Amino acid sequence: MAKIIVVTSGKGGVGKTTSAAAIATGLALRGKKTVVIDFDVGLRNLDLIMGCERRVVYDLINVIQGEAGLNQAMIRDKRVDNLHILPASQTRDKDALSAEGVEKILDALSKDFDYVVCDSPAGIERGAQLAMYYADEAVVVTNPEVSSVRDSDRILGLLGSKTRRAEQGQDPVKEHLLITRYDPERVNHGDMLNLEDIQEILSIHLIGLIPESEAVLRASNQGVPVTHDQKSDAGQAYVDTVSRLLGEDIPLRFHEYQKKSLLSRVFGGGRR
Amino acid sequence: MSLNVDRAGTAFSFKGGMLPMTVMELTSADPEQIREQLAGKVSQSPAFFQHTPVVLSVEKLSEPHLALERICAVCRSHKLLPVAVRGGADPIKQSAWALGLGWFPPQEERVRNLESVSQSLPEEALPSPAPAGTAPVTNRIHRGTVRSGQQVSAAEGDLIVLGSVNAGAEVLAGGNVHVYGALRGRALAGIHGDREAGIFCHELHAELLSLAGNYKRLEDIDPQLLGKAVQVRLNDDQLTIAPLV
Repeated sequence: MAKIIVVTSGKGGVGKTTSAAAIATGLALRGKKTVVIDFDVGLRNLDLIMGCERRVVYDLINVIQGEAGLNQAMIRDKRVDNLHILPASQTRDKDALSAEGVEKILDALSKDFDYVVCDSPAGIERGAQLAMYYADEAVVVTNPEVSSVRDSDRILGLLGSKTRRAEQGQDPVKEHLLITRYDPERVNHGDMLNLEDIQEILSIHLIGLIPESEAVLRASNQGVPVTHDQKSDAGQAYVDTVSRLLGEDIPLRFHEYQKKSLLSRVFGGGRR
Repeated sequence: MSLNVDRAGTAFSFKGGMLPMTVMELTSADPEQIREQLAGKVSQSPAFFQHTPVVLSVEKLSEPHLALERICAVCRSHKLLPVAVRGGADPIKQSAWALGLGWFPPQEERVRNLESVSQSLPEEALPSPAPAGTAPVTNRIHRGTVRSGQQVSAAEGDLIVLGSVNAGAEVLAGGNVHVYGALRGRALAGIHGDREAGIFCHELHAELLSLAGNYKRLEDIDPQLLGKAVQVRLNDDQLTIAPLV
């Protein structure tokens, strides 16, 4: 049976799709058979981040409505074995998602895969609720700013009440906090919430901290998940995150402000 | 629940209330039969018939039309004041309104409505059922964080939260509200008008504090008290916040 992980946040633009792609890639690189599903029907993005947009024929909605088989719709990743992508439909809207259809797909995928990563749309409406409904674990993506923290708090409330595990009284969904776009320098100046404040408000287990990094934007535009960029701090931070998801105890990195050396200031050595 | 605004400029404020009310359950629609029975009751217990407000329940009657005006006249002549009608078909509802009486939906339906409301709330927001045979005061303990968008209430008793109440969350109690953590959301105590109720928390950042309908917003709270462990009480319609020693 696969573990179903939802990557969610409430707020848009905090890095859900980037994180879902990076985490799924990281899991596959660790030898886990992984599929990542785009639940953002109508605003299909995951295929772009994964760099497979030119190979999309069928999508999630086609499978739900019986117009295509799961194996026809799933796209095999070119870079990593073990990794598959199930894209969302760009032409339909989220009403085309049905709870029974989603359950059927997740059941089928659970038999063949070790991990199913669900990339949730923003918001708390149908799409987001269906993406989280069948989850075993949740990665709640949060930026160091108050509105993002509040929306994550709202999502955590829904994870505790509007999921199958909650409704059937099973063990609750395992909640993990993933802080993205963390800039220690701006935190130091008081422009951003710091790590401790976010953790205190949300009071859930921290699974990773991804520093603000140029590598993320570059990776998105190239269609290569940032996990592949092992020279970048963000890529390394996602690898750490995946290791923690797999139960390893890895110390936190990239959360402390390092003063730039004179040389890097002179030559403008930006962060990679 | 009600919040009154600036006292000087308002003529009234709405407050929720649960008043004891006698329901007169009619099993006959015949005004004469009602008159006879009432006459007997008055002689048994005259103290009861002192312009007592009653709700006429017609749920057990199957007639689509009633001589409602005559039934009311019979009641009034025996010093009962019909204030509303419960149940009955549409014509009965219309004639109740025409007589200046209120109309309540049948009891069975009201229970169902309440149930559907509870189902739409997050699971945690449901008040815990009172164990049978105990006192009607039901305190409630909520373990864990109350998160943005959640509402946790103890309608009759005290609410105890073992955790924080985050911004955008709301905790309500007929009695006191205790928060063993940070209170960042809204807390309303004494929602049925209990002026003795208080709010207690370990760390005050509340968006709103309300006691028996009187409230203070975050902006009105002395900044020196923010982040402190405090108790909030009602003194002469004013919320006073004092540090807990």
